[in-house]
Amino acid sequence: MRFTRISKAVAIGATAALALSACAANTGGTSNSSSAGSEGAGNGGEVRVVEVNAFSSFNSNTAKGNVDINSKIAYATGTAGSHFNYIDNNLKIVKNDKFGKYEVLSEDPLKVKYTINEGVNWSDGEPMNADDMVFAWAIMSGHFNDAKTNDAGEVTSGTNYFDYAGTTDGLGLTDVPEIGDDNRSVTLTYSKPYADWEISFDVLTPAHVAAKKAGMSTEELTKLLTTLPKGDPANPVKPNADLQKVAKFWNTGYDTKSMPTDKSLYVSGGPFIVDKIVPNQSMTLVRNEEFTGGPIPKVDSIVVRYIGEAPAQVQALKNGEVDIIAPQASADTLEQLDALGDQVVVEKGDQLSYDHLDLNYSGVFKDPKVREAFMKTVPRQQIVDTIIKKLNPEAKPLDSQLFVPANDGYEESAKNNGSANYQDADIAGAKKLLDGKTPTVRLMYNKDNPNRSDSYSLIAASAKKAGFKVVDGGLGASEWGSALGTGTYDATIFGWISSGVGVSGVPQIFGSGSSSNFNKFSSKEADALMDELIVTTDKAKQTELQVKIDKLIWDSYYGLPLFQSVGVDAYSSDIEGVKYMPNQTGVWWNFWEWNLKK
Amino acid sequence: MVTYIIRRLVTAVLILLGASFVVYQLTAAAGDPLEDLRASNAPNKDQLIAQRVALLDLGTPPPLRYFKWLGGAAQCVVPFVGKCDLGLAINGEPVADALGRAMGQTILLITAATVLAIVIGIALGIITALRQYSTLDYSVTFMAFLFFSLPIFWIAVLLKEFGAIGFNDFLRNPVFSPTSVIITAICMGIVVVLFMSGSVVRRLIGFAIGAAVTAGLMVALSATGWFRAPGLGPILILVFGLGVAYLITQLTAGIKNRKALYSSLIMVPIGLIAYYVLNPMFSNITGWGVLGLAVVTILVGCAVGYFMGGFDRGQSMRAASLTAFFVAGLVLLDRFMVEWPNYFSNGRIRGRPIATIGSSTPNLEGNWWIHNLDNFTHLLLPTIALLLVSLASYSRYSRASMLEIMQMDYIRTARAKGLPERTVVMRHAFRNALIPLATLVAFDIGGLIGGAVITERVFAFTGMGNLFVASLLPIPDPNPVMGVFLITGLLALVFNLIADLAYSVLDPRVRVKA
Repeated sequence: MRFTRISKAVAIGATAALALSACAANTGGTSNSSSAGSEGAGNGGEVRVVEVNAFSSFNSNTAKGNVDINSKIAYATGTAGSHFNYIDNNLKIVKNDKFGKYEVLSEDPLKVKYTINEGVNWSDGEPMNADDMVFAWAIMSGHFNDAKTNDAGEVTSGTNYFDYAGTTDGLGLTDVPEIGDDNRSVTLTYSKPYADWEISFDVLTPAHVAAKKAGMSTEELTKLLTTLPKGDPANPVKPNADLQKVAKFWNTGYDTKSMPTDKSLYVSGGPFIVDKIVPNQSMTLVRNEEFTGGPIPKVDSIVVRYIGEAPAQVQALKNGEVDIIAPQASADTLEQLDALGDQVVVEKGDQLSYDHLDLNYSGVFKDPKVREAFMKTVPRQQIVDTIIKKLNPEAKPLDSQLFVPANDGYEESAKNNGSANYQDADIAGAKKLLDGKTPTVRLMYNKDNPNRSDSYSLIAASAKKAGFKVVDGGLGASEWGSALGTGTYDATIFGWISSGVGVSGVPQIFGSGSSSNFNKFSSKEADALMDELIVTTDKAKQTELQVKIDKLIWDSYYGLPLFQSVGVDAYSSDIEGVKYMPNQTGVWWNFWEWNLKK
Repeated sequence: MVTYIIRRLVTAVLILLGASFVVYQLTAAAGDPLEDLRASNAPNKDQLIAQRVALLDLGTPPPLRYFKWLGGAAQCVVPFVGKCDLGLAINGEPVADALGRAMGQTILLITAATVLAIVIGIALGIITALRQYSTLDYSVTFMAFLFFSLPIFWIAVLLKEFGAIGFNDFLRNPVFSPTSVIITAICMGIVVVLFMSGSVVRRLIGFAIGAAVTAGLMVALSATGWFRAPGLGPILILVFGLGVAYLITQLTAGIKNRKALYSSLIMVPIGLIAYYVLNPMFSNITGWGVLGLAVVTILVGCAVGYFMGGFDRGQSMRAASLTAFFVAGLVLLDRFMVEWPNYFSNGRIRGRPIATIGSSTPNLEGNWWIHNLDNFTHLLLPTIALLLVSLASYSRYSRASMLEIMQMDYIRTARAKGLPERTVVMRHAFRNALIPLATLVAFDIGGLIGGAVITERVFAFTGMGNLFVASLLPIPDPNPVMGVFLITGLLALVFNLIADLAYSVLDPRVRVKA
């Protein structure tokens, strides 16, 4: 009886189950995402790039907005120059004749004419023309500023209009531009030749937007900028209210973390335009359909995602969530990347930053022989082997104070400047120079930086062998910077960043009395050559002068460059066209060549 | 009571003032804001330094700068002025905006993990207390301490490697290999044994059944391609629904309470009917719609319980509405599973659904289901990581508290007067055991908003913890740090007060002395 009941129940249950399973609920017209499934509008696809810092401003040229990510976005959306020319990964200037042309009308006085091609427009359809160039000139020249500042950097009198983060040294030499060719060209006249003229002028943000925000027409703005008298810090005048309005908008109006409702804030002059921003998480760039002024990108959109930690970047790349990463190079990161095998392509290269050892021209090192002896003890090859080889097996010690290997003059200068004598430690030679003396050397460095600590240990150990008494003057990360140049040490290890292109940085380090000349190197001959260098516009001549200066520096036992830092990019093997770039533009430098393999 | 609260609030303000001064000075002294520029060789170095000095107001010494900041921040507490000025971050963003955004991210990241940690942690604690010194007790204790002592960044990296990358690779061809079936089956068998008590033979049978069920399930799931196109279907909803109905009745009213049991059981067919009726309308639903349906579900449960009547209507209503809620959850889950293939094949997902970073896929298009699946795949790993490390404290506290309660005289009395063990545990012991946890929970909720620095960094969430760290390094920027401090400090003090007040409400033996 019981048995039949159970079997009946089972039978009923089974039938019910069968019946029910045949009729799962109608889930409605399931929103089949065939349309949402495709990536972007065209068929170039989407590339996802990882950045560390989050976007914060559409204007990357102010002190506030001058963050790497803002500059990269501005590079892709054409609001921070790189129209007339751009810098490639060999640190060469490449002219872009699709946008316009520039020609030197005369060498002395230096006169350069910039002409924008007809039909080159901003993304809102307004033409790019002389108005934009005059506006950019006003910002980059600091022409109207008449402020004086005290030592702490506070303004004591007068006005600084544009809060421009770049140098005004070059365009500060120019007078008001002449407009010509139907408002498509300007001619800049320099009061004296300027070596880096070629990379010091370009179109920045659109003038018509700034004019509108300040309540005037574009013509009125251009008129204002071409007629207002030059500022003179000695005789400050009452600030011009109109220009202040324009400057205020330019200084702060572009700062935003989220997508602005005001479309004029992200008007683009480049191949891409910002489409969407999720604050602190991602942003999406899509093609600017108006763009004609340069190479046309192959991909339809670029998505930027922010990941701070290098291991998280590597895992996101491995999981296919992102396509291109450029993590901080460390042995661990490289090992993780190498473990990904064929799935990714890893590119390594030198960065423009390099560590160097500087000897003060005072105290124990006043005697050139002691400087020379100390330099002889520095085990440069060993330092490179210990610190850099694990990241880049092909690394070599840096052999020039002025050039990096990517520069044309490097090899010639390295051969000529005497660096060959300091390839590795020469203890015997150092002992001979010291002649039994045992000088005490206080070596200052940032002890929170592991590379600098390692360099210190190797240098100190080697110098002791030659009879130097080395005192560890290492300071914490928050202290060492302000100790620079104070004379509280005899030698220091720290880093500098080569500009890669241009020579105006040279006197900043090596010029007598310059604010980055911490060890007080001073040579009349070198000063004269540097004075000549910054007014020399001919590239070959520049290199020749730099080679001479480099030799003078080495001959005076200045100290030693140690090594260049290593940079790394990694990208999914589904992508092609990504190339390593040593400067701060990073992988973005040729974003128009990025392509998804089909 | 009122005097007590006012006194506490006044003290809180004084503490905040003092602490904010100290934190401001510490932040300002945390590093050299000009470090990178001092060693710079940029031709316009002096100009850059001047700009940074102006931006951060470095000309004013930090103690004075604090009062400038305080002047702005104090306006936040002045009523009806509506001018709240917490200053600007170094990138020009108002700190108040940055805080709002960061809090949103943090709450998103931590809410699920905390709720789950509380529920699971307490449940584990209670169960292990009831089975003190059993295999189960030892193994739960062992696991809890194991996860508690593991560094979270390491758990996170492992989870990403296996839970995301490994699982996504598996989804390309979702078939279990025989080895993995055997290993998982053995593991699940052992888990079953741990939960069992009794003779060796019984345990062996339990092991066999556990292992066999697991293996069968894995083979079936592989064979039907379940991972690519998952779903429950009406049968599983019915089976699970009945299970849920029995379990909930057992916990809330006891199986002997037939009215409650029938109320619960009635909810299962109602849920099944809803499954058929509602599913066609689901494709265009919004979050509000789902919320509305949840409310309706609970009301229907209450109504059924009410009309079933019985000597204790409340019990029937509770059992029925809880069952209704969970059955509705099953229906919802089924629908998410139905949408899964659409999500999986979305071009932006690229067939790799489980994410390792962030909270959503940029530019993902789709309906409410797709977006929620996207949130789920992004939050899954950080939630598991946070859950694992925070389980220990809840389970330990609730175990200790439960053990203490079970030794009490009134529990013996309750047993002596013949109450069923279920009533003793659920009514007399469990509720009282929760009282000490009120403090812990209040603190944790207060601490939630403070953010989880490491978890946020590893999973690339830009919450409060990240805001705090990013504002300290490389350039110390006191304004955002003070914003984070204000919020966390305020919440700590407020929740401390709430915990004290809640305690006195929950436990009549504790009285607030004014």
